Amino acid sequence: MSTGLEKRTTQVEVTEDDLEALLGDRVLGRDDHLNAPGFVIRPDDVQDVLADLRDEAGFDHLSCLTAQQYPDRYESIYHLKKYADPTQEVSVVVPTSTDDPVSQSAEPVFRTADWHEREAFDLVGIDYEGHPDPRRILLPETWQGHPLSDGYDQEKPQIVTLSEHANPIQPDHHDEESDTMFLNIGPHHPATHGVLHVKTVLDGETVVDIDPDIGYLHRCEEQMCQQGTYRHQIMPYPDRWDYVSAGLLNEWAYARAAEDLADIEVPEYAQIIRTMGAELCRIASHMLALGTFALDVYGDFTAVFQYAFRDREVVQDILEDLTGQRLMFNYFRLGGVAWDLPEPRDEFIAKTRDFLDELPAKVDEYNDMITSNEIFQIRCHNTGVLEPEEVKDYGCTGPVARGSGVDYDLRRDDPYGYYENLEWDVVTEDGCDNYARVLVRMQEVEESAKIIEQCLDLLEDWPEDDREVQANVPRTLKPDADTEVYRAVEGAKGELGIYIRSDGTDKPGRFKIRSPCFHNLSALEVMSEGEYIPDLVASLGSLDIVLGEVDR
Amino acid sequence: MVSGVTLPLQGDTVLLPERIGELTGLDQFGVGGELLATFLAAFIVGNIMLAMTGVAGPWAKRKITAAFTDRIAVNRLGPAGLLIIVADSVRLLSKELIIPEDADRPAYDLAPLVIASSALLGFAVIPMGSGIHLADPEVGLAFVFAVAGIASIGLVMAGYASANKYSMLGGLRAVAQNVAYEIPLVVTGMSVVIFAGSLQMSTIVDAQAQTLVSLGGLDIPAWYALVNPFAFVLFLVANFAEVGRNPFDTPEAPTEIVAGYQTEYSSVYFVLIYLGEFIHIFLGGAIIATIFLGGPAGPGPAELGIVWFIIKIWGVFFLTQWLRSAVPRVRIDQLIEIGWKGLLVLSFANLVITAVIVGLIA
Repeated sequence: MSTGLEKRTTQVEVTEDDLEALLGDRVLGRDDHLNAPGFVIRPDDVQDVLADLRDEAGFDHLSCLTAQQYPDRYESIYHLKKYADPTQEVSVVVPTSTDDPVSQSAEPVFRTADWHEREAFDLVGIDYEGHPDPRRILLPETWQGHPLSDGYDQEKPQIVTLSEHANPIQPDHHDEESDTMFLNIGPHHPATHGVLHVKTVLDGETVVDIDPDIGYLHRCEEQMCQQGTYRHQIMPYPDRWDYVSAGLLNEWAYARAAEDLADIEVPEYAQIIRTMGAELCRIASHMLALGTFALDVYGDFTAVFQYAFRDREVVQDILEDLTGQRLMFNYFRLGGVAWDLPEPRDEFIAKTRDFLDELPAKVDEYNDMITSNEIFQIRCHNTGVLEPEEVKDYGCTGPVARGSGVDYDLRRDDPYGYYENLEWDVVTEDGCDNYARVLVRMQEVEESAKIIEQCLDLLEDWPEDDREVQANVPRTLKPDADTEVYRAVEGAKGELGIYIRSDGTDKPGRFKIRSPCFHNLSALEVMSEGEYIPDLVASLGSLDIVLGEVDR
Repeated sequence: MVSGVTLPLQGDTVLLPERIGELTGLDQFGVGGELLATFLAAFIVGNIMLAMTGVAGPWAKRKITAAFTDRIAVNRLGPAGLLIIVADSVRLLSKELIIPEDADRPAYDLAPLVIASSALLGFAVIPMGSGIHLADPEVGLAFVFAVAGIASIGLVMAGYASANKYSMLGGLRAVAQNVAYEIPLVVTGMSVVIFAGSLQMSTIVDAQAQTLVSLGGLDIPAWYALVNPFAFVLFLVANFAEVGRNPFDTPEAPTEIVAGYQTEYSSVYFVLIYLGEFIHIFLGGAIIATIFLGGPAGPGPAELGIVWFIIKIWGVFFLTQWLRSAVPRVRIDQLIEIGWKGLLVLSFANLVITAVIVGLIA
């Protein structure tokens, strides 16, 4: 553990000039974003440039890939960061022609580009040359057209047929000694935490190959956000991405991006309420993660699951008092929050304090029942191992990354809200296994409680005439045309990023969601291949994915 | 027979069919009458077990689990929700029976029957007290293990015949598990036989009626759980694996392989399998009660034997539900490892040591 306020940046800041020198004449031009310098490169230089940025300049985190179509070109934007210091960012912009949108695949450099480029192909229609697996990812295989490209006919009904599932490696194993079995885990299965379909190939009880098939819960969230106005119509959507109680954390992701885009200041008082609400959501979300992981390992709706839900219920009640809702909060506004703490204030604060006071005893109970249980330990130690290098390769963040010893938490490393003024720690564990991820989540619950405690102290003593919950924001927001920003917050599952390009109207020109679960789930293959089915199920549980956020 | 032991609870040779024969006068009709009396007796015993299962499945299981997990469970129908038993029966029996197209028919249909009946058969030789004892063959204990083992065949049939990959995995797991745990179970049971000197159930029960020690006028009986607690624990563990309960419920493993061998069973077939599982738990409890806990022995008059016996069985059932609520499931490879490398070795060690000690004392 390290202290929250301590930056542990040892890397020297790389200036824009350094980058320009590094990339040399591969840079065709500049296309700066609000958050980072943007370098325009040729489509066949992608691997070269990304490899140089990673190896020479230390940009080891491919945070997101945004694809979009302009009237005269397609564009792929690779948003790069550093795990050591996420405030150092760079965007690599790759334009391709409208007639023949072919760009080099970044998959050989960053493994996580695999799924991202499939999505870009699926929704926008850019082809990535050299991609190992150029299939659609969210939409069915037989879908016609690319929904986020220009000229796509939304009205046209489509009937999609599915081909029979085949064992992808049957030929390799179909000899006399060995035999494999293809097994569909999901879309309806007790352990998939939503509608996930894992195409699994088994050799006996051992997992040989998995291929997560996502998209069952794809609800066009990006497009719906592109059709809403900045001021009010977008904010309800984030609640529906990670819909299992992490609502305020998601809202903050949009709020942060949009506030940077439109240059809105948030009053300090509102920041404290936001911070408190977000941490309450984190506790609720981690409780759920703990309960469902126990469900996967214990095998039934057992005591641990019910206890976790009992305690989460208290948090839900507090959030209901604060926001008026239990799941779909819609509480944040651009420039602040919807309203102040509920009256009577003292009662709300006392109720929240009661919860915090009881929490340590509950955490002890969980430790008794889960982490110190020998059977739980033999089930979780050294299963679902995810090495730190793989974490970075797959762009994993949140408790998954911290459970593998990658000390990365945007609340501290890229401060927002009120976090930098509070005393708390970032929790990391070096176990790299399912057990370490459970430990991280349990300790983060305690850290969140610390943050809430301090927020309550501040809110209690805040002078009554200075309780400004919202800045003065114009009724209609029209950011300057072609302003681009990519901003991320630390959601319950990891780095939740939003890319917005404004087109001069009151609605975003492009709205891209970087979902932490999307990245974390893509790492499931390295965690589970070669292990047993029960470990596959446990690993999936320990990733704590929410399909609403994976599929968007 | 152990000499010098009075038989306070067990009419020496009077078994239930004989008693019924006497009471109804059926014994005057020769073999036919005896057969009918036996059927009547079996009917009574079978119904006791089914009634217990009926209470346990829809009601007690829910109530016990709820108590462990901070909930209330069924409380709407009847006192303490007891009438849920009726509602559940109607519900389960009125469900549509869906049979997979590719199911291997005779095997698919037979499996639920085999699973349910094999467990019921075991009760034929269990002395339940109050004179409820169907048969008392000299190989009683061996008989119980043998018929309980038949259930494995039912599990394999169910797993294979359902034409479902999850069922197949569950069936294979069930076999691997039963093979691995049957041996420690039987070997540990053997150590009791060494004490009692007989496989006959009534003899084993009678032998436990002796006084182990007297503490201030209170006679502690020589129940084998007290004589050899180590064997008792071994047997308990092996028994949980044998009946497929937590932490050894890998053949069903809901979060991993959906429901294992019973994935494709619905309606009455599902009820039969479910019933079979509960009767197996009760049979396990009955075996434990008989060979380790003095059978129907308990304070009060001998007529209360059946009450004590049922309390002991329910004690074991309660334990299974406790474990279900609190203990994680082991992985299939760990399960096999615990069976072959742990329990098997310990059970043989227990057998040898018991034999040596008993030999020395004798």
